[in-house]
Amino acid sequence: MVQFHEHIISDLLEEDSTTKGGGGGLVIISSGLSLHKLISSLLLLHSPSQGTLLILSSTPSQRSSISQSLLHLQQNPNPSPNLPLEITSDLTAQHRHSLYSSSSIFFITSRILIVDLLNSKVPTSNIAGLIILNAHNLSETCTEAFIVRIFRTLNRTAYIRAFSDKPNAMVSGFSKAERIMKCLFIRRLHLWPRFQVYVSQDLERDPPTVVDIRVSLSPLMKGIQKAVIEAMDACLKELRKTNKVDVEDLTVENGLFKSFDEIVKRQLDPIWHTLGKKTKQLVSDLKTLRKLLDYLVRYDAVTYLKYLDTLRVSEGVRSIWIFADSSHKIFEFAKKRVYQLVQSNGEKLSVRTKNVATKKRKVKEDNNNDKEVNGSSACTNTNSGVVLEEVLEEAPKWKVLREVLEEIAEERQMQALQPEGEHMVEDAEDDNGIVLVACKDERSCMQLEDCIMKGPRQVMREEWEKYLRDKTGLHGLQTRNKKKSKNPKGFGILDGVVPAMPREDVETSSISKLEHDALLAAASEIRTLGKEETVEDNPQPHAGSKGRGKGKGKGKGKECQGNIRVSKTKELGTKTRRNEKSKISGSKNESRRIESDPVDAGDFHEDIKNSESVDKGVSRIHDEEVNATEFTHVKPLPPVHFFALESDQHILDILKPTIIIVYHPDMSFVREVEIYKAENPLKKLRVYFLFYEDSTEVQKFEASIRKENGAFESLIRQKSLMMIPVDQDGHCLGLTTSSEAQALSSQNSVTRKAGGRKEGEKVMQVIVDMREFMSSLPNVLHQKGMRIIPVTLDVGDYVLSPLICVERKSISDLFQSFASGRLYHQVETMVRYYRIPVLLIEFSQDKSFSFQSASDIGDDVTPYSIISKLSLLVMHFPRLRLVWSRSLHATAEIFSSLKANQDEPDLEKAMRVGVPTEEGIVEDDVRAETYNTSAVEFLRRLPGVTDSNYRTLMDGCKSLAELALLPIDRLTELMGGQKTARALREFLDAKFPTML
Amino acid sequence: PPSTSVQTRNAILVSHRQKGNPLLKYIRNVRWMFADVICDYLLGPNSCALYLSLRYHLLHPDYLYYRIRELQKNFKLRVVLCHVDVEDVVKPLHEVTRTAMLHDCTLLCAWSLEECGRYLETIKVYENKPADLLQGQMDTDYLSRLNHALTTVRHVNKTDVVTLGSTFGSLSHIMDASMEDLARCPGIGERKVKRLYDTFHEPFRRDV
Repeated sequence: MVQFHEHIISDLLEEDSTTKGGGGGLVIISSGLSLHKLISSLLLLHSPSQGTLLILSSTPSQRSSISQSLLHLQQNPNPSPNLPLEITSDLTAQHRHSLYSSSSIFFITSRILIVDLLNSKVPTSNIAGLIILNAHNLSETCTEAFIVRIFRTLNRTAYIRAFSDKPNAMVSGFSKAERIMKCLFIRRLHLWPRFQVYVSQDLERDPPTVVDIRVSLSPLMKGIQKAVIEAMDACLKELRKTNKVDVEDLTVENGLFKSFDEIVKRQLDPIWHTLGKKTKQLVSDLKTLRKLLDYLVRYDAVTYLKYLDTLRVSEGVRSIWIFADSSHKIFEFAKKRVYQLVQSNGEKLSVRTKNVATKKRKVKEDNNNDKEVNGSSACTNTNSGVVLEEVLEEAPKWKVLREVLEEIAEERQMQALQPEGEHMVEDAEDDNGIVLVACKDERSCMQLEDCIMKGPRQVMREEWEKYLRDKTGLHGLQTRNKKKSKNPKGFGILDGVVPAMPREDVETSSISKLEHDALLAAASEIRTLGKEETVEDNPQPHAGSKGRGKGKGKGKGKECQGNIRVSKTKELGTKTRRNEKSKISGSKNESRRIESDPVDAGDFHEDIKNSESVDKGVSRIHDEEVNATEFTHVKPLPPVHFFALESDQHILDILKPTIIIVYHPDMSFVREVEIYKAENPLKKLRVYFLFYEDSTEVQKFEASIRKENGAFESLIRQKSLMMIPVDQDGHCLGLTTSSEAQALSSQNSVTRKAGGRKEGEKVMQVIVDMREFMSSLPNVLHQKGMRIIPVTLDVGDYVLSPLICVERKSISDLFQSFASGRLYHQVETMVRYYRIPVLLIEFSQDKSFSFQSASDIGDDVTPYSIISKLSLLVMHFPRLRLVWSRSLHATAEIFSSLKANQDEPDLEKAMRVGVPTEEGIVEDDVRAETYNTSAVEFLRRLPGVTDSNYRTLMDGCKSLAELALLPIDRLTELMGGQKTARALREFLDAKFPTML
Repeated sequence: PPSTSVQTRNAILVSHRQKGNPLLKYIRNVRWMFADVICDYLLGPNSCALYLSLRYHLLHPDYLYYRIRELQKNFKLRVVLCHVDVEDVVKPLHEVTRTAMLHDCTLLCAWSLEECGRYLETIKVYENKPADLLQGQMDTDYLSRLNHALTTVRHVNKTDVVTLGSTFGSLSHIMDASMEDLARCPGIGERKVKRLYDTFHEPFRRDV
């Protein structure tokens, strides 16, 4: 364990021992500082004598990494590891009850805990404490706050500890940290930024060797980057013109981050309805452009082009940026990285467009020349005399990666030759020789692996073939498809082409026609080649690009590339060491001190760091020994493991690499590496960083550090001004001793008196559907003093009285369930079973209170407007009552006024309503959890699937994947009709329209 | 004469009380005429509407109640068309909601006179329209239907649908795709891959 983790834990424990009754704290650490290890060390200190420990709001990947590192820690002292189990609603109520009393540690879903608390199924006195992860996601009205409020009334002594490693998210609203602490009844805030003095001491004592390699973008990539930024800038300027947003935050740099969407959203949400379509489109365009920047450095040229193509089809005319001048360049350059059209006599065919000035065209032609050197190969003839020349530009980092790997292998060989080498003893012991390459996503991992195995040219060629196949829809001979693919047929009239590409005007259409033909020709060539391959039953279908024919320029191209490689390698050699030994995290205020309680580290498990184990449970190891003799490269390479940062796993301790190549720089991963090094100070660790020089990649990385530091500085300020009442639990709960006693004794746990209500008055009851605990309304109703009875309801979400049943819709739900037809259905059943069926339309407090602005209403009565739908609904169900609520709190007020003069609802009856048969009653809460809800919803949206046949379909096959393979006869059987079955089968098999 | 009865049948009959209401300017898609009616707007043989501006309600809190009482039990659909024209809506809207609820009225809220007018127009124009529109029929072209189905999976957007479609060629191939193949699609990250895969491969019913 790193020392500052010990500090954090001792701070927390000290806090508990010094406060009377119920300690706790909110801990915020920098991202990447191994929160999972911190938690597992904390869990290790739990002893059964304290009672049961519950861990709330963890993500699956957090659960697995906490368990994994617990296993790691326990191995030495404890032969039978004791890992936390998960409590979900899959377990029966009795089973859950026995677990609550077992004094062990559990992960638990908030929804099941709140239900059990409300039903008094939790022996709260036996709970040692709650640990709440991802504290940045909490708010006053969230279920976790609800849990803590109830829990605190029943148990004043347990501790409540909340954690977050997303400081940026902690400052995203007005004094968010303070509000979260208040709703959790926590008094202490612990801040542990990377620049905190203990942290930086620990991590900078033996920093790893760092090699910073800057790779230049190719000229075309630079062009694209510039054009995207220009387009972003143009969008931002437009957005500023609307005068609807605070200009200060709207910078291109902020635009690089996902959090930018949040900034804009927070500003625009309250006035969203007043915005015109254009502004809304601008916001979504900015999002798209950010992705384009990100993908530029992540995807290969062909995939990037493909993504652009799909964007053009799916965004179509709506987008503004697509029409911007610079965005035209994006498409143009992206295409040029992949292919270009040439007259068969060798002359280049310049695609004339009105918007591009001649000067720019010259630049582009320069680029063309560059690329030709870069190795263009096969050409494809079309009858019109235009030739499609493949460019297939490779990602510049690919080559560098390969060179680094070769260099590593060479170095190792050298070391092996001189066995007296001083590091050999240590290295041999725990160096498995694996080089870890960290990329952003799984996709990059697979592609880089292919690059190493097959060579970059082959990878590009395969992507290109796939591109042509996908684009032209010539799927017929997908050799890679294992299952025999049924040839998809067209669907209805759409067995053809998507009528997209709105840009094409008359002037360019002839050229695009040529291009179209050329692409088709290239595709069909690949198709015939594929056929040949299968006919010949070639054992090595991927053996280089031989046999692709016509490749006159191929040999030459390869040669050229070879030359470049050599010269560049030299350049790299000098460049590489430039930034060696620089500190990883380059922040200036790293050494700031914020907490200063020196702690004796001896109290803690010193032996932890000695426990060494090689876990076999690694997800995906590609560490195949690679000798690429088949390909152009002859040099040996070390074993490589590719790791996707997105997978949220922690593999450093499992893999124990001595060399790490950070292919896509990422702040949290860098910190993880630092911790890994700090925990293994004797290990020689070298880290290579591959940055694209002058790219938004670098900019983004540096800005992420800056932003996090800024967040912490703001939190430090907030902390100094915080007003947390000393006696937080007592005051905030507003509990009287009598009501507490009553709460403890009453069957239905807690009831809180609303202000001004008379003592003797009966407590209002509301029956709430289990699924509603995803929302905050039950919490707010409870705060208002109502008794919440959670059950599974078939009809409605809330039953207020024997007569009143409420279906609650947030605005987005309302639009969605109108579109899917579900709302009609829900209202229909509600009207059938209840005298006063209510549709509650609930707006959100911080969003605008209206559907649309006056300007969006339009001149005519149109069938798809929300006004038309609501009108039709009330006309068809005149008994339906509408309630329009401004906010959660307004809803609670309305509920209590509706309940006045009504009887309390009948639980038994409410549960039986709408359940088709007697045997349909499932044990209280299980039903909601037993369905794969998104699959069911998906199924119900397929053509031919109706309310009357979807259940039998679900009985007849296990999953959607299975459904996809059912023959028409079987479908007819299950759906009870040939017509519907055919509609479904045809839709499933319909050929996706091509994009050409 | 029969011609006038046809005319009155196809028009919204407006109470003389509404004279001068700027809302009338916005009833443009349907004919309307003044007539002696108890309600503010007679929208059909069994449906009527009362217009209420929240600002007016604040001044005359009992007005709505008296107007509703006048209607007696003569209509199947009794709409209270509430024009939300104040900033601080919670309290007055609560009162209006209560009154409408207690006296069997359907409350419709509108935020502008245009919107008020559009509700009146729509109820008249759709007088005899079946509820098909509400029952989930949507655009029937292939891409819309595919979007409709695939976007049930959280965070999958229209661009992803095109990517998936063009990569796998048909929906059944998409549903049958391996995690790896899904991950190879540009724009589809780890989480989307998992969500898609789980939707397709996790059983409809989980074993308990």
